[in-house]
Amino acid sequence: MEAKPRLLTVLDYITAALFLIAVGLVFLYAPLEAVMGNVQRVFYFHVAAGWVGMLSFLVAAIAGVAYLLRGNRKWDTVGLSAVEIGIVFAFINIVTGSIWARPIWNTWWTWDPRLTTATVMELIYIAYLMLRQGIEDPDRRARFGAVYAIVGFLSVPLTFYSARLFRTIHPVVIGTNDPNAQGQFNMTPKMLQTFMFSLLTFTFIFADLLWHRIRVGRLSEKVEQVRLKTLQ
Amino acid sequence: MFLQEAPADTTIYMIAGYAVIFTVMVVYLVSLYLRRRNLEQDLEVLEEIGEGDS
Repeated sequence: MEAKPRLLTVLDYITAALFLIAVGLVFLYAPLEAVMGNVQRVFYFHVAAGWVGMLSFLVAAIAGVAYLLRGNRKWDTVGLSAVEIGIVFAFINIVTGSIWARPIWNTWWTWDPRLTTATVMELIYIAYLMLRQGIEDPDRRARFGAVYAIVGFLSVPLTFYSARLFRTIHPVVIGTNDPNAQGQFNMTPKMLQTFMFSLLTFTFIFADLLWHRIRVGRLSEKVEQVRLKTLQ
Repeated sequence: MFLQEAPADTTIYMIAGYAVIFTVMVVYLVSLYLRRRNLEQDLEVLEEIGEGDS
């Protein structure tokens, strides 16, 4: 059995420590927002989760390109792992956004461009997992996954820029904002520090989870190889 | 200054938001752990079968 690398253990501890500090900053350091109250604190991890979702899908697209160029199945494992993590964090992003919207927009959901594109992005990658299940041949599955991850990535910049390009009520915290946006606020220095720290923490969480998920993927491949050998 | 309202009481939504964040992350971590443990058990069984055959 493959031993756990020492560096991964170190990364586990660093990530756990960063996460605890980030939680502390969100609840104890960041000031109470003057209008929205405590629900604004959801923003720190809501955006960070969205960042991890998009970063994951970017990594999946890069892994897709690498697989098509090199033909090495390890890139397929990287792509699949990244997509799985991306789906989890994009889900967190969408659900926490909906919870924030209830007191601020007075509704759980509205088909605003940002919410719609984020949901479509999530569904595109859920479909990636479902369609992979239907392909038996590993090489065909990997080729399909690579092309899908590259094409599916188009939904990521579309989601990111939707709040900047279209008429939307979704606030843009960094950059220019639509005058129709509701729930906009100006970040104080403490809010900005908490926000940046949350982004850093979630980037570490992504790296840590990706490494663990790749190890599970590699183990799964090994089990499959031993199973085929045993059956022969 | 006198017209400034107190922040809205939205604590319950903050709790709900963080409950979702922590729950989903813990569920995913547990799923990773269980998948790895099951695969390690499968590998052990398969290797035992392989040794028995040879």
